[in-house]
Amino acid sequence: MLHVDSLTKSFPLDDGVLTAVDDVSFRISPGEVFGLLGPNGAGKTTTMRMILGLLEPDSGYAEVDGVRTATDPMAVKSRLGFVSASDGVYPWLTVREMLLYFADLYAVDATLAEQRCESLADMMDIKHLLDRRAGELSTGQRQRVTLVRGLIHDPPVMLLDEPTRGLDVVGVQTIFDYIDILRRGGKAVVVCTHRLDEAERLCDRFGLLHAGKLKYCGTLNELKEQTGQASLVDIFVDLIRN
Amino acid sequence: MSNDPQTRSATTQHRPRRQKHQPGNRLVRMCQKELRETMRDRRTIITLVMMPLLVYPLLSMALNRFLVSSTAGTSEQTPYTIGVETDDEGSLLLAWLEDPMSQPPAAILKASKGNLATFRVVNTTSVGLNPKQALQEKKIDLAARIELGNPPRLRLTAFNGDPASQGAQRILTERLHWLRLARAEALAASQLSDYTPPTDVSVENIGVAEKPSMLGTIVPLVLVLMTITGAVYPAIDLTAGERERGTMESLMASPVPRSYILFSKYVAVVVVALLTAMANLLAMFTTLWAGRLLPLLTGGEDAFPWLAVLQILGLLVLFSGFFAAVLLSLTSFARSFKEAQAYLIPVMLLSLTPGMLSLMPGVTLNGPLAIAPLINIVLLAREVLQGTAQAAPAVITVLSTVGYAVAAIAIASKLFGSDAVSRTSGQSFGAMLKRPTRSTPTPSPQAAAMTLALLVPIYYLVSNVLMRIVPELSITWVLLLNAIALVLTFGLIPLAAVVLARCNFSTSYQLATPSPLTLFGVLLVGLGAWGFAHESFVLAKQMGIGGLDVDRIEKTRQTVEALKVAPTWLLVGTLALAPAVIEELCFRGFLFTALRKVLSPTRVIVTTAVIFGLFHVVTGNMLLIERFLPTTLLGLILGWIAYRTQSVWPGVLMHFTHNALLNLATKYQDKIAFLGEGFENQMHLPASWLIVLSTTTLTGLAVVWFSTRKPPVAESNLATTPA
Repeated sequence: MLHVDSLTKSFPLDDGVLTAVDDVSFRISPGEVFGLLGPNGAGKTTTMRMILGLLEPDSGYAEVDGVRTATDPMAVKSRLGFVSASDGVYPWLTVREMLLYFADLYAVDATLAEQRCESLADMMDIKHLLDRRAGELSTGQRQRVTLVRGLIHDPPVMLLDEPTRGLDVVGVQTIFDYIDILRRGGKAVVVCTHRLDEAERLCDRFGLLHAGKLKYCGTLNELKEQTGQASLVDIFVDLIRN
Repeated sequence: MSNDPQTRSATTQHRPRRQKHQPGNRLVRMCQKELRETMRDRRTIITLVMMPLLVYPLLSMALNRFLVSSTAGTSEQTPYTIGVETDDEGSLLLAWLEDPMSQPPAAILKASKGNLATFRVVNTTSVGLNPKQALQEKKIDLAARIELGNPPRLRLTAFNGDPASQGAQRILTERLHWLRLARAEALAASQLSDYTPPTDVSVENIGVAEKPSMLGTIVPLVLVLMTITGAVYPAIDLTAGERERGTMESLMASPVPRSYILFSKYVAVVVVALLTAMANLLAMFTTLWAGRLLPLLTGGEDAFPWLAVLQILGLLVLFSGFFAAVLLSLTSFARSFKEAQAYLIPVMLLSLTPGMLSLMPGVTLNGPLAIAPLINIVLLAREVLQGTAQAAPAVITVLSTVGYAVAAIAIASKLFGSDAVSRTSGQSFGAMLKRPTRSTPTPSPQAAAMTLALLVPIYYLVSNVLMRIVPELSITWVLLLNAIALVLTFGLIPLAAVVLARCNFSTSYQLATPSPLTLFGVLLVGLGAWGFAHESFVLAKQMGIGGLDVDRIEKTRQTVEALKVAPTWLLVGTLALAPAVIEELCFRGFLFTALRKVLSPTRVIVTTAVIFGLFHVVTGNMLLIERFLPTTLLGLILGWIAYRTQSVWPGVLMHFTHNALLNLATKYQDKIAFLGEGFENQMHLPASWLIVLSTTTLTGLAVVWFSTRKPPVAESNLATTPA
C-alpha cells in the first residue's frame, strides 16, 4: 500500500549540511498501523512531508498504490489522508463548509461529500457542530474536525503527524478510537509521534528514527529481540544514549 | 466518539466517487470559498464599509471648512466679514465699497468672471468685543477703524497666516485704491481740459481655457491609498494568516495545483481591494455631491460625474490586479502576520511616491515612465481623467502592468507552496533563483509568465533604443542590431529560464526531428501563406486599422527604399532566418511547452498566437495595430504546425520561407511589377495569384496533416515524463 524506499533529504545550513532523513525505507500494508517514532528533530515530519510530496527528496522515493510521489504527486496526494500536528481551521467558515471545501479539493462528488460529511461527523460526534463557525470550537472539537477532514475523501493511506499533541485524556482517547476505526477500515496508517507509551498501545509495527536514520523496524516483539530491551521506552533510551 | 457500527462504516463503505475533472468549476468554488472567508471577517468589513462611511463625511466636513475659508468673499453666500467699532464707521466703509468707482478695471473684473468680492460689515461691540479682539477670536476676517479727518484714515488689522483675513485685507485695500484713482482721474478730467490718461488698456483673450481639474490630480493618489487599504488585510490573512492558523499544510497536501490555490486567493484579494476602492470612490463622490463640493473638484459642473467614475473603476480593476499580485508575492513569503506587516510597510510607503509624482505638473506618461510599475498606472489615471491620455503609452502601461501582475503571481505561487509549508528549510528570496536538483522536461507556466513579464519591458526598452539610434545608422547596422536585439531578448531570456529551471532543452524547445514529408508540407505552407499575410495587411489598412498618418507613410516609404539597397544575404539573415529561429524557439518552443501543462492544445495555439501578434504590434513608442491580424494569423498556423509535428523545426522552416518571401518581394518590387498591380502599390494581389497561393497553402497543410496523422503518443506525458 505504502512503500518508502531509501528516502534521503538534506538541508543546507550556514555551517554545512543537515541530513534530516538518511536512507529511510519501510512498507505498510492495508489495515496496519505503523508508528514512526523518534525524538524531536529525528526526521519524522520531514519523512512524512516527502511522502506527501510537500518536500522533494534528494534521493529515494515514496510510492502509494504503485504510484510514486515524484512521478505523479497529484495522484499520490489524492490517495493520502493527512492529519497535521496543528489543528488549524478556517475560523470564518462553518465546519460543514470547511469539510465540503476539502472534499472539493480532493474532487469528491458533491452529493457524496455531503453524505460523508454527515456520516463522519456522526462517527466523530461533531454533527451538532456542523453549522457552527469553526473559530468558535474548543481545542478538542477542532481536533475532531481535523480528523474528519483527513478522512473526507476516504483515502487508503492515512498519515497522522503528532495527533495527540496538546490533547487531554479524552482527546487522546478519541485519537485512539479513531485509529482503531481506520485499522478496521483497512487503511494503512502512519502515526508520527514521540509519545512511546501511546505508540505501544496504538501501533502494530514500529520504525525508530534517530538523527535521520531508521535504526530499528519491526513489531514490538521483533524489536525486543533485536535489542534485548524490555519495552519500547527502554529501546529508545538505549538508542539515544548509545 | 460514536461506536455505532453504521456510522463506523463511513470509513470503509463506498469509496467517494471522484468528480469528473472540471478544473474551471473547482477554481470558481475555490475563489468563492476564499471570498466567503474574507468577507465574513469583521476586519474586512470594517475596512470595506466603516472606513468610507465614517471617513468621507468627516473629510468632507474638513474640506468644506477649508473651502469656505479659502473661498470666503467670492460669493454672496460667503462674504468677507469686516468688524468695526461704531455704526458710523460701518456706514462709511459700505459707502466706499458700494461706490461704482471702487470697482477694478474691466479687464481685471473679466478675469474673475465679473464676480466682485463681497463684504459684510458688523459692529463687534454687539458681542462685547472690540474689532481686534473679535479678529483674535477669528469671529471676523478683518478689523477696521476709521479716524475721521481730511481725508479720513482707515486702519486695517488682518490676521497673519489666515488666507481669508489676508484676502479680505488685500481686496479691500485694492478696492479703496481703485476708488482713490477713479475719483482723482474724474477730478483731473473735469478740472484740466487737456488731461489725458497715460494709456488706455484693453485686453483680448484667445484660445480655449483648459479647465483645471483637481479630480485628475487628487484621484490617482486616493486610488493608491484606497486600493492598498482594501488589499493589505486579505492578502496577509489568506497567505501568512493561513500558515499562522495551521491550515497551510493540509491545504498544500491536497491534490490541487499550487497555482490554483494561489489564484483563488488572488481573486479574493482583488475583489476585496476593488470593492473597498469602489466603496471609497462612491462614498467620496456622493459626499462631495451631497455637500455641493463637486464643482470645485471637477472644474465647474455640479452633475454627478458618471463617466469619470466609470473610467476610474476601469483603472481600479487594473490597479487592484497589479497591487494584489505584488502584495501576495510578499505576504506569501512571510511566516506570520507580523512578518507580513513588516514587509508591507515599506512597500506601502513606496507606493505613495508615485501617487505624489502624479501631483507634479509636467510629468507625463512617456518613455521609461510607461513601463515603470505603479508610476505608469498612476500617471495613466491622471491623464485619463484629464482627457490627455495617448494610445501607445496607455497600451504599454496596461500590457506591462498585466505582465508585472502575472510575474508577481508566478513568484507568489512559487513562494506560497514551498516556504509556507517547510518550516525547517528556511526559504529566502534567493531560493527563487536556485536551480532545482532534478531536471524537468518542460518549463513551468510560472516560468513562462515570469519570462513574458520580463520580455515586455525589456523588449519595449530595446525597441525604443533602436528607434532612437536608427536614423543615425546605415541600413546594414539597423538590420544587424535588430537581429542582435531579437537574440538578446526573445532568445536569451527564455534560454535563461530554461537553464535556471534545469529544463531539458530538447523537450522544452520541441527539438525533435521532423519527417522529410512534414518539412515538404510546411515549405509549401510558407510559399503560400505570405500572400495571406500581405492580404490581411492590406485589409487592415483598408479598414482603417492602425491609421495612415503622413509621418507613418513616409517612414514606411523610407524603410522600403532602404531595404531595396540592403544586401540580399543580410535581408534574409536578419529579417527571415533570425526571427524564424529565435521567435519559433521562444513562442512555439518555450512558451508552447510551458502552456501545454495547463491549457488544451487549441488554447495554447490561440494564446501563443495572440501573444506573438501583440509583440509585433509594439515597436518603440508606436503601435503598429495593422500588424496584429497578419502576425496572429501566422501565429495560429505556426501553432497548429508545432502541435501537429511536436517539433519546432517545421515552424522555423515555414516562418523563414514566409518572411524571406515577404521581404524579398519588398526588395525586388520594382523588378516583379510585371506580375501585377498589387505588388507595386501594396494593393490586393491579383486573383490568379491568390488562387495559386491558396492552393499551395492548403496542399501544404494537407501534407502536414497527412504526415502527422498518427496522434502524438508522448503528448499526455509531457508534464510528467522525467527527462
